[in-house]
Amino acid sequence: MFAITYKKIFLIIAGFVMTTSVLLIAVLGLNLGIDFTGGSLTEVAYNNAPAKEEVEAKISEQDLGGFSVRESEDDAGRPAYLIRTIDLTDSERDTLAKNITELGEGGEVTRFTSIGPVIGQELRDKAGWAIFGVVSIIVLYVAFAFAGIGTPVSSWTYGGITILVLIHDVLVPTAMMSVLGYFLGLEVDVLFVMALLAVLGYSVNDTIVVFDRVRENLKQNRTEHRKKHTEAGMVREEVTYTLTKPYEEIVGSAVQETLARSINTSVTTMVTLLALYILGGSVTQTFALVLFAGVLAGTYSSICIASPLVVTYAAWKANKN
Amino acid sequence: MSKNETQASDQSQTFLRWFRVIVVVSLIAWLANSVITNATNPDSEKPFKLGLDLAGGSHLVYVADTSGVEASEVSELMNVLRDVIERRVNIFGVSEPIVQVEHSSFVTENPTERLVVELPGVTDVSEAVAEIGRTPLLEFKLFSQEMAAQQEALSSLGSLTESSSSSGAIIGDIKINGEEVNVDNEELPFTDTGLTGRYLKSASLEFAGSNSGRLSNEPLVTVTFSPEGSDLFAEITKAHVGEQLGIFLDGEMLSAPVINEPITGGTAVISGNFELEEARSLAKNLSFGALPLPIELQSTQTVGASLGAEVLNHGIKAGVFGFSLVMIFMILWYRLPGLVAGVALLSYITIMLALFQFVPVTLTAAGLAGFILSLGMAVDANVLVFERMKEEYRSGAGSRDSAHVGFSRAWSAIRDGNITSLLSAIILFWFGTSMVKGFALVFGMGIIISMFSALVITRTFLIALPEVKQSSNSLIAKLLGSGLSFNKTKKN
Repeated sequence: MFAITYKKIFLIIAGFVMTTSVLLIAVLGLNLGIDFTGGSLTEVAYNNAPAKEEVEAKISEQDLGGFSVRESEDDAGRPAYLIRTIDLTDSERDTLAKNITELGEGGEVTRFTSIGPVIGQELRDKAGWAIFGVVSIIVLYVAFAFAGIGTPVSSWTYGGITILVLIHDVLVPTAMMSVLGYFLGLEVDVLFVMALLAVLGYSVNDTIVVFDRVRENLKQNRTEHRKKHTEAGMVREEVTYTLTKPYEEIVGSAVQETLARSINTSVTTMVTLLALYILGGSVTQTFALVLFAGVLAGTYSSICIASPLVVTYAAWKANKN
Repeated sequence: MSKNETQASDQSQTFLRWFRVIVVVSLIAWLANSVITNATNPDSEKPFKLGLDLAGGSHLVYVADTSGVEASEVSELMNVLRDVIERRVNIFGVSEPIVQVEHSSFVTENPTERLVVELPGVTDVSEAVAEIGRTPLLEFKLFSQEMAAQQEALSSLGSLTESSSSSGAIIGDIKINGEEVNVDNEELPFTDTGLTGRYLKSASLEFAGSNSGRLSNEPLVTVTFSPEGSDLFAEITKAHVGEQLGIFLDGEMLSAPVINEPITGGTAVISGNFELEEARSLAKNLSFGALPLPIELQSTQTVGASLGAEVLNHGIKAGVFGFSLVMIFMILWYRLPGLVAGVALLSYITIMLALFQFVPVTLTAAGLAGFILSLGMAVDANVLVFERMKEEYRSGAGSRDSAHVGFSRAWSAIRDGNITSLLSAIILFWFGTSMVKGFALVFGMGIIISMFSALVITRTFLIALPEVKQSSNSLIAKLLGSGLSFNKTKKN
């Protein structure tokens, strides 16, 4: 199986991808949207959009502090601007709306969102806790579901590797958002967090399918030894297993056998995401993009990271003993 | 067993298999029909519920200042606050507004109590905010003979003009004693007394005693005024014995009792053939004529109505296109089983849409995106089963046995994968804000229904297909084997 044969190459690629992602996120940062920082976002659409400078100049007159203007398109396909400002009061909002709609023909505020700083902070806390909660429950469940897998590595190893793989799958789309945020001004909002959580769900499912096959193949390729010994009057039975094939080979065939499924499910998921990106509303475009990157990363990791890693770990453990 | 008996039992088996298919297909068709009827019929009781970002409207979040009250009273006061705001919103004339109390999650450092107000169709947020933020008015007004007389005169004049002139217009301004008086025909004939909710200390629900001259146990509302209010109330009642004193909340008349005698004790009893609930809510309304807690607008979101419709249109287009792509891919790859998976996916969509209508689930742009995403992921269980089935089929087993083995072998992977996803959905639902909750609900329902569609619907169809072996040269045998396999390279 190629994923096991060339495991070093795949793991080096994964290590490189993860390091690059972390560096990108650390250097470029994430462009947090008003969902997390608080503030106001106004979408104004025109039939004939005025120049961006004109809009900026008009807003500056109002003295609202720092603001940013981004070119966009509303859902009817009209040219629009997304204006991000501080949390606006009623009168500030009305003045802003009046000022900017006057600039071009058919000017209209199509969307307005304003979020207070307290809610922004709470959302940030919640997002963190939700991700932490999901990750912990996954490692616990995997360790539980694979309990008794025994030889040569324990079920906690599978759980731990699932988490490592998850980190990879979340880092890739996050780094992508970091780059897109830096160059195109895309903002991280609540939808982004939802996309990440959906990636978590997809990725763990993908990894579990491979590990499930490993579990099944292990059961088929091992001999059982039962040894009874009496200890303080109690009869205890100890069960040990010997594998009839090398562990590497067992894992390799599991990856092989689940390869078609891994690829097919990611294809069906990616075509729906493509449809959502191209045809769906502007609100969920970034959501589709983040998920696309996550699913791609998830497919790579379940084939080329999870299994090579478990084989490498088993070899390292065998060496140590 | 004779040959005839074997044949008969085979026939009844085949009949049973096809009977199950027919039952499943009819049920799904019936469900699909009811979904479409509910969605297209404008008077339907169970239409799709669209969130504000799809239907257009305003979403306002207020934070209540609870610093001045006991922690134990907070939840009761929040409910009263919700009722007061709900009443104001209703006066505003919005169809199906939602007013609900939301607590900040327990993970945050600054716990807050919030009031979420959703106003579908309202895009002028300033007007809505002004209406909600308005201080409600509890007023005591005296019945005015003069105004009543004027109105009577006006209405008779109106009916006079109506009968005498062909225009039929009602004249709103009439001149009495050379002075122009503007009389609104709608307004009740009451004059202000200056006594308002500002002077009210409390109001409570009581029941009439048996010797009070009223029906015993009739619910009554007793109001107590502040010292200042007591004096004012005594003055008014002294001067107007025998007249009607109307009690108005936000301009609406609640009741208009007759002043029987001057009231100096600072309390008044309002009776009016109340139902128990009515009296209770009146007492509550009077007690909290003003908002029980100060509120501050925390966040606003407004989406134009036409824009929301566009988002919905785009979403539907993406969904239809995504579904077609998945179906084409599945048929190309898995042939006949792929078609079966397509039917199962259609059933999945039908059941999900029916649940959206019946639960009901409020559909938002995020929920819609989650649903479209789930179309791609829902076939996963089918893919798992088909891959296992294919292995068996290739190794020479009959198609029906292969299907059975495929389902039983794939089960552990389907179970573990779906349980972890379901656990994630539950956590998301638990931690999430309303937007995330909607997404988590769609996500979680999708997991359960997709499992059901694969394990019940796909299975029913696959097992009903005629039994063939790969070695036989029939069309069905060819349709069951997929063209490509990574397993071909397997070294055994």
